[in-house]
Amino acid sequence: MHTDLEKIIARRLRAAADEPAESPYGWAEFQSRRQRSRLTRVIERNRPAAIAAAVLAAVVVTAVPFLRSSHEAGSSLEVRSRHEHAQTYVPPFVPPDTAVHPRMSDRQEQTRTRAIEGWLAGLPHNRVIMRVGTHAAVSSLQDQIAALDDLMSTERASNAQPGRIEALEQQREQLVSSLAQLQYAEMLASATP
Amino acid sequence: MSRLGDIPISKELIAGARAGDEGAQAAIYGLLAPAVFALIRRLVGNRAVAEDLFQDSMMAFFQRFGDFRGEAPLGAWLRQIAVTRCLMYLRSPWHRARLHWEFGDDDVWVGSTMLPITPATSADAVDVERALASLTPVGRAVVWLFEVEGYSHQEIARLFGRSVSFSKSQLARALSRLRQGLAPQEDQEACTPI
Repeated sequence: MHTDLEKIIARRLRAAADEPAESPYGWAEFQSRRQRSRLTRVIERNRPAAIAAAVLAAVVVTAVPFLRSSHEAGSSLEVRSRHEHAQTYVPPFVPPDTAVHPRMSDRQEQTRTRAIEGWLAGLPHNRVIMRVGTHAAVSSLQDQIAALDDLMSTERASNAQPGRIEALEQQREQLVSSLAQLQYAEMLASATP
Repeated sequence: MSRLGDIPISKELIAGARAGDEGAQAAIYGLLAPAVFALIRRLVGNRAVAEDLFQDSMMAFFQRFGDFRGEAPLGAWLRQIAVTRCLMYLRSPWHRARLHWEFGDDDVWVGSTMLPITPATSADAVDVERALASLTPVGRAVVWLFEVEGYSHQEIARLFGRSVSFSKSQLARALSRLRQGLAPQEDQEACTPI
């Protein structure tokens, strides 16, 4: 129930509402902002894809130089580690040769892969991962290797053709090689002050 | 006349706008935009925020124009769109955190500079605007929706997602504060022999 005073206040509020008002901008400006807003929405909608592309590009840009100069950087870091061991974390050892050698025999290839796997197994499990993109790539490679292992076990159990097993093994060796390169690049990055 | 529900829009204009005639849409914009912006400005206070909400409301208005069935005046339909957006803004956690404002707790509006929200032409309107500016955003929205726009307590409660008693208590506090703000003139008015 309104008191008389409240009725007067209500009347004055309604009178204020009847005061002439102005639009903040005209139709042309409204249309212009509408177009800009549509454009912004298109950008917003495509933002996840753009971010994914940017992350991928960042990983590639960061990893490629490390992968190319892994041997040189590894040896120089070993030298530097003698002087800076107290200040920075230096990888304790470098991985075995991860480069692709087309003339290598199957036996040599298997030996090399085992050496790489031994190196990977010897990496500390609690080291700091510097880049999210690298971490994602490592996880992805590990998953693919695990999936290949499962597949190879199944193929062997079902007496698959030897050619098929060899193809899978070669694929696995490449993945292990890539994983070692990436892990080493990550170690170098984390050792860089 | 600046109240949205009272602004007459011809059926020809509405039909033209619905058919995509940009001239008709521009004409409707010209008729309704000042009132809707004034309403939004009164509800949220800040001009920059009001412009954003105005743009958003008008875009939604033209986007949904085909859904308008003509059961209520076009202005009232636009008012509903604008009020919903304003209250969503007032209820947003970001806004509430920014202004240190809590529902139903205190009606002292520390963020207000006591400056009028919209430009007024008469001395009486200036007083009303100053008194409105001293209210909390919620109190101002409730008193404006109830007293000027004609919303019921049930409608206000639904818009805020609160109870009817919330609307009533907010209105009572806002009116009490307005009485204080407008008291000198009310006294004069009461004592002046007619």
